[in-house]
Amino acid sequence: MTSSFQFRKLEDLIARDPKLLFTLASYIAIVAIYLNLNVKLLAIGIVFFALYFSINGTFLARAFFEREDVFFRLMFGVLLLIMLLSFVGWLVMLIYNLDVPLFILTLFIVSTFSSLSNKRKKHKNAVW
Amino acid sequence: MPFGRQASNKLLRISEIFYIILTVISFYLLITSRTGEARTVWQVLHPAFMPTLFVTTSLLLAILFSSETTTPKMLLIIVHSILIHSFFPIIFPAGDNSGQQMVLGQTRRVFDNTILHGLSGWPRPTLQIFVVEMFKGMNLQAAISTIFARMFSTDIFHVHLFLVPVLWGTFIPIASFLTTKALGGDEKTSVLSSLLVSAFPYTTYFGAISIPNSLGFIFFFYSLHFMLKYLSSNNSRTSYFMLGFAFFSFLSHYLTGIISFSLLLLALTFKSYKSEKAASPMTAKASLAITFLLSASLLPFSFIYLRFLNPAYSTVFTLDKFYGLPYEEIVGLFLIGNLVYVFDIKAIILIAVGSAFAFLYMTYLLHKSKKSPAGEFRIRLLFLFSAFLIVLIDYRIMNLFMDRLPLSEDRLWVFRDFVAVPFVALAIYGVVSSAKAIVKVHCPWKISIASLKAISKINVLRILALLSTLIVIIPLILGGWITFSLSAAYPHFAPLQTTWYELEAVKYIEENTEEKYVVICDVWTIYAGEMIVGVKNPRAYYFGEKDPRGYNLSARMRRDPSPQVMIEAMNQTGTDTTVAYFIVTEPRLGVEEFNSIVSKTLQNSLPVYATFGNGKLYIFRLEK
Repeated sequence: MTSSFQFRKLEDLIARDPKLLFTLASYIAIVAIYLNLNVKLLAIGIVFFALYFSINGTFLARAFFEREDVFFRLMFGVLLLIMLLSFVGWLVMLIYNLDVPLFILTLFIVSTFSSLSNKRKKHKNAVW
Repeated sequence: MPFGRQASNKLLRISEIFYIILTVISFYLLITSRTGEARTVWQVLHPAFMPTLFVTTSLLLAILFSSETTTPKMLLIIVHSILIHSFFPIIFPAGDNSGQQMVLGQTRRVFDNTILHGLSGWPRPTLQIFVVEMFKGMNLQAAISTIFARMFSTDIFHVHLFLVPVLWGTFIPIASFLTTKALGGDEKTSVLSSLLVSAFPYTTYFGAISIPNSLGFIFFFYSLHFMLKYLSSNNSRTSYFMLGFAFFSFLSHYLTGIISFSLLLLALTFKSYKSEKAASPMTAKASLAITFLLSASLLPFSFIYLRFLNPAYSTVFTLDKFYGLPYEEIVGLFLIGNLVYVFDIKAIILIAVGSAFAFLYMTYLLHKSKKSPAGEFRIRLLFLFSAFLIVLIDYRIMNLFMDRLPLSEDRLWVFRDFVAVPFVALAIYGVVSSAKAIVKVHCPWKISIASLKAISKINVLRILALLSTLIVIIPLILGGWITFSLSAAYPHFAPLQTTWYELEAVKYIEENTEEKYVVICDVWTIYAGEMIVGVKNPRAYYFGEKDPRGYNLSARMRRDPSPQVMIEAMNQTGTDTTVAYFIVTEPRLGVEEFNSIVSKTLQNSLPVYATFGNGKLYIFRLEK
């Protein structure tokens, strides 16, 4: 029960995104993923993949599936993130190519969209 | 916390830890079964794996029936699901020898940036062909695999092979849970359904291979969930998600897309039926019937209309299949489809039992819910029953009345199974609840050793029998069903899978050749080559698996291995290729033919470039 409570607190913190801290962390993860493409270390890839997915998955989960139970909300967020990544990647690939710079652009577009969706939701729910 | 509850929680934690240990052992046994040369997983699977999996699954079922909360149960099911969908990528060095290797070959082109504007490339002969090619599911899968591989900063090979097993293992149990819940099932029933989805052999097989169709199935299942929600909700977001998932299932594969849109049409009509029924019941019923027919005909007609978009498709309606067939066989085909040709009764039972059970339970529920015809549950039930019938009808049409289909109609069984799973779970849980109720009736007081003395011997036996049924026999039966359905899910007959030495050979050529080269080989080595260098790579050219030139050159080299044929191959690549390789593999040809080809090639002064697999594979090289 305690771990579930702590998880909810973490989720709340990410969703609040104070001073765009987590959006920034997501961008840093993208830069790290880019740099790792030269180093090619799977462990680093896994760490930043997890960071990118947990931040943006939470953003999307809170923006679109707030009424769901926490576990299903997060899973929906991750699924939606995969769908967004694949859709933007698909478009980019058809327009030109999914090479490294355009792949990084794809990550940025999806991350920005997730962050904006989360912010929009927060503004909607805000009590003035 | 009362002592009884504390003890029960402790027992639950011990069971969970024991389950995790058993799962780790199962993964370990699967990894130790890994081989570089086999035809089927059954040839090499560790003898302790299936018994371990049976115990693991039964234990998981016992945990599912316990008072544990939903999230840990779902996490345990996801791990189990990933385990049973990972046989191919863990056991074989290049996954299953099938379409997934071709898809990997195509995806490799995107990953290596050797193609622009998607896998269809540009320009295409006509705009229609470009549009059809653009919406081919391979494009979406190539994008997903490439993004994941770049995020992990690893090669696309393993990312592609594990893509569907991991996504399926994670998201299909959740979709099953949500669909059962949307149908009205409680948490425990929904959790049970998320495990039972693994008891259907076709769903297990399609969850184990990384092809666009499998991705489409995942999105289809979510669209089905949102359709059920849409039937009883006025939330616009539900409609958007229903449409969004249907669109994604279309982007992934047109089969899943068309079925999603058929059911979407049906869901919309059911929704309007609800509101129109009171005003004009006849019109509402007529529109339902018309939509049902339209939805059922959408898939067969879409195959016919594909030819207008791309002349490569030539599907036709036909009655040819009935000519010469005995009457009993025709009846058999109508009743059980292609299972009529499956002679293994165990396989027939495993493939058909779940859906037959679901069909019977659906019929029972429809009969039972007659009393409240306008109830939400009945509408959802009718919708799923119609979806089930549409799949059955479409299967019969494709199986009996259509020819030259671009894919096997057996894939429709996955849709049938997705619809069936919630009903199987509801039925099983109904049985369990009835048993529990009987226990309560016969034993209205708290069971304790002291109170047992007060009950008559017969009643004690009756209670113990029911309790053992609930706690032991039901998990064992269901665990056995899920475990044994794997034997129908993974094939028992298959060609030799891509061997480690075929993979090593094509990697060796790629790493040690600076010039542009072409490889003459059999179709199995073509698959291996495509996975490493991509399909029709102008620098490292393998003739496509369907390219008649490749077959022709390979056949000529086997008949009369000469430098002229290899030079001809270099001239057919369309680039300034200066090196040609010829690969022969002993297990593919047989010892006699293999030895004969090797000696003839050496006689024709083609030098051996390298050998692999202790002389089972020879590479010959010719430079212009």
